[in-house]
Amino acid sequence: MLSELINPYYLQVATFILLNIILGVSIYITLGTGQLSLGHAGFMSIGAYTSAILTLNYNVPLVIGIIIAAVFTGFIGVLIGFPALRLQGVYLAIATLGFGEVIRVLFINWEGLTNGAIGIRGIPHLGREILSFSESLGFSPGMIGLKNNQFVSLAVFLVLLIISIGVIWFFIRQSNSRIGRAFASIKMDEEASEAMGINITYYKILAFGQGALLAGFAGALYAHLTAYISPSDFGYHRAVEILIFAIFGGSEVIWGPIFGAIFLSTMPEFLRVISEYRFMIYGALLVLMMAFRPQGLIDTNVVNWIKRPRLKKKEGKHGTGNKKDK
Amino acid sequence: MLIEQLINGLTLGSIYVVVALGYTLVFGVLNIVNMGHGEIFMFGAFMGVIVTNSLGLPLYVAFLVAIIVTGILGYFLERFALRPLRGKEGVSHLAPLISTIGVSIFLENAAHHFFGAGNQPFRTSFSELNITIGSTTVYYVQILIFVIAILLMFGLTFWLSKTKAGKALRASAENLAVASLLGVNTKRVITQTVIIASAMGGIAGILVGIAFNSVNPQMGLSFGLKGLAIIILGGLGNVRGAMAGGLILGLSETFLVAYGNSGYRDAIAFIAIIVILIVRPQGLFGTSTSKSKG
Amino acid sequence: MVLEIKKISKNFGGIQALTDVSFSIEQGEVLGLIGPNGAGKTTMFNMITAMFPPSSGEIGFLGQSLSGLKPHEITKRGICRTFQNIRLFSELTVRENVMVGNHCRLTTGVLQSVFRTKYQKQEEENVLRNSDEILEIVGLSEFGQTIAKNLSYGQQRRLEIARALASRPQLLLLDEPAAGMNEKETNDLFDLIKKIQALNITILLIEHDMPLVMRICSRIVVLNFGKKIAEGTPSSIQNNKEVIEAYLGVEEEDELA
Repeated sequence: MLSELINPYYLQVATFILLNIILGVSIYITLGTGQLSLGHAGFMSIGAYTSAILTLNYNVPLVIGIIIAAVFTGFIGVLIGFPALRLQGVYLAIATLGFGEVIRVLFINWEGLTNGAIGIRGIPHLGREILSFSESLGFSPGMIGLKNNQFVSLAVFLVLLIISIGVIWFFIRQSNSRIGRAFASIKMDEEASEAMGINITYYKILAFGQGALLAGFAGALYAHLTAYISPSDFGYHRAVEILIFAIFGGSEVIWGPIFGAIFLSTMPEFLRVISEYRFMIYGALLVLMMAFRPQGLIDTNVVNWIKRPRLKKKEGKHGTGNKKDK
Repeated sequence: MLIEQLINGLTLGSIYVVVALGYTLVFGVLNIVNMGHGEIFMFGAFMGVIVTNSLGLPLYVAFLVAIIVTGILGYFLERFALRPLRGKEGVSHLAPLISTIGVSIFLENAAHHFFGAGNQPFRTSFSELNITIGSTTVYYVQILIFVIAILLMFGLTFWLSKTKAGKALRASAENLAVASLLGVNTKRVITQTVIIASAMGGIAGILVGIAFNSVNPQMGLSFGLKGLAIIILGGLGNVRGAMAGGLILGLSETFLVAYGNSGYRDAIAFIAIIVILIVRPQGLFGTSTSKSKG
Repeated sequence: MVLEIKKISKNFGGIQALTDVSFSIEQGEVLGLIGPNGAGKTTMFNMITAMFPPSSGEIGFLGQSLSGLKPHEITKRGICRTFQNIRLFSELTVRENVMVGNHCRLTTGVLQSVFRTKYQKQEEENVLRNSDEILEIVGLSEFGQTIAKNLSYGQQRRLEIARALASRPQLLLLDEPAAGMNEKETNDLFDLIKKIQALNITILLIEHDMPLVMRICSRIVVLNFGKKIAEGTPSSIQNNKEVIEAYLGVEEEDELA
């Protein structure tokens, strides 16, 4: 009965939506201090290549590979963050775009390590690793009535789900704290924040490093989900795609990029036309959002509005509770 | 060999200058980096392919068509991606950057659909014509590119400094609000600027098509980024800086390919961006130390 | 002596904003810093808070030099300011604004914040209590959950003061706190400054509202064209010829314009 419910294809789609959520959160963290990075595709590729090379060439266990990749990317992010501090707005965006391209060119040309433009194949697959691990424990998918590929996609989906929830939990907690208040105030007025005793250097680099770490983490996961990476996976398109999750969904609250990632990754599955013209639609969306709703679809007001019906219910009947259904 | 490389470098450099001038003009007046410029340039290149290859018409028609089409694209870019953001309360200074990124990704993928993803050859009747002086071969195409680039540079400089429209534009570049008070129709000047910049992009597109004999939808991004690198090298909004920056980049790329590792050719521009931004944010030739702020 | 300004000069690309200005502030006093527009008062504030360094001269705070410190380090040492053009964190709530002001007195880092250690919870409780106390002092208790930009002008000015107080300063710099206030609001402000003084906080006040300055300041320093032209008690300043000329001169210009 379970086996009829589990469709590996849908689970794969859902898995990549979760990956996009992590990417959306990664750009949201950086944007949260007013820094626009177009280098997140570059950070993602650093994570992907690091983990791929470690697991493939040096037989590092997959989990360790992913962790090292994330930490290493975060470290690179901090290194980039220092000079990036001197840059404001547009300059930062262009410099990070340049950074992403340098990384891409480096991966294309460093053939000994990265196999150049052809890319790396046969990267240990997260699902297969889970399968062989559980088999070594004496468990086989058949025991719960699943085919191997069903089990693999289910396991991968669940792992990603837990990771995403963990990531979201982490950053919600962080934003409701001294750290989050510092981020928010820096985004609104850097100079005033500094005058109020906030070390803006520290917090801007922290945000940049966290964003990079998370993008690298997502990149490493991506490598082990697809088992194949090449430099063209991490170009300008990817950078724009990551950005649009936050621009479309919203960059004021963490639910913005999450909604953006879910919506924009789901739509092409329902409408093939959208899939074909995906990036044209992305482009048009960016223009439209900037003209009509620069803060993104989900902002603080929307979040408050969603929360409101529940409060109303507690207070008593006001007859507006059905707004929630819309 | 050295002289040939020098000529190649100058040719490439002058193309870069024309690309970069488009960015500089828009930045100078609007204080906006137009991320869609590279893709408008790419459309110019495709117009060249269509007119000369598919329709078999002469090259000058290609220039005309490219100028018209890219000019129109420039108008649309200004109308839809820039104008709605102007003078609006609480718009972040990043908004125009993001909306022109939208234009860039839209146009690139539109080109994918219209023209296909692959490379299109750009053959013109005199692609192979050349003269040999001593041991040095010079293609007519190179001379043409060089001459057009020089004409555009001087034309632009003359237009900016001597004509009424150019003066209005420079006044607007100094301070939009003041220019508007002095009776300059800033709305028209802005639209004009974006159209002129885009048309220059169109010309540059054809020049690149001829020089490299290949046109594809991705070229907008790679040349666009180089254009950005150049204006950052030369100082944002600085016309002379853009010229010098373009020539420096063209020459250094050519010499890297000739005497070093060709694979890293495309990295020069981006490394230059990063180094310049960190060491000398106002650009090599920039004088103002003002940072762009929100 | 709380603050000692020693021969401070500031040059902005050829324009001399301040020339050899020296004065000092004693513990617990309210010192007025007045002068016509463009006299260099806000520039002085910006230098005390290290928003930019002086061209020459030195600033001492509680016997230690402040040179080379960053703005946030100055705040931590115990100097905090308000802004002439209100610069609140406009999208945050009133209470959050005050909590941000308290930032430099807190120590929890990322991991403590995320995993909500006992220490962190304690600290957050303290911040909340602290912020509410400060809102009480400035009379904004009932607006804790209001978004800062929705406050009235006078309330925003008070919130600026509350935010600065939250950093627990020993010296508070107020930049035209009465600007744009009506008479009642100005009177409330007078009471508020007195209350702050009673908390043993020293105050340096830039203000154009002369009656307020005369009522509240123990001493006054007058700047004109970047130079100190007078220093003394309110009554001595009121009768100082040079000061009167400086102000009258401005009035004449105003009439011409």
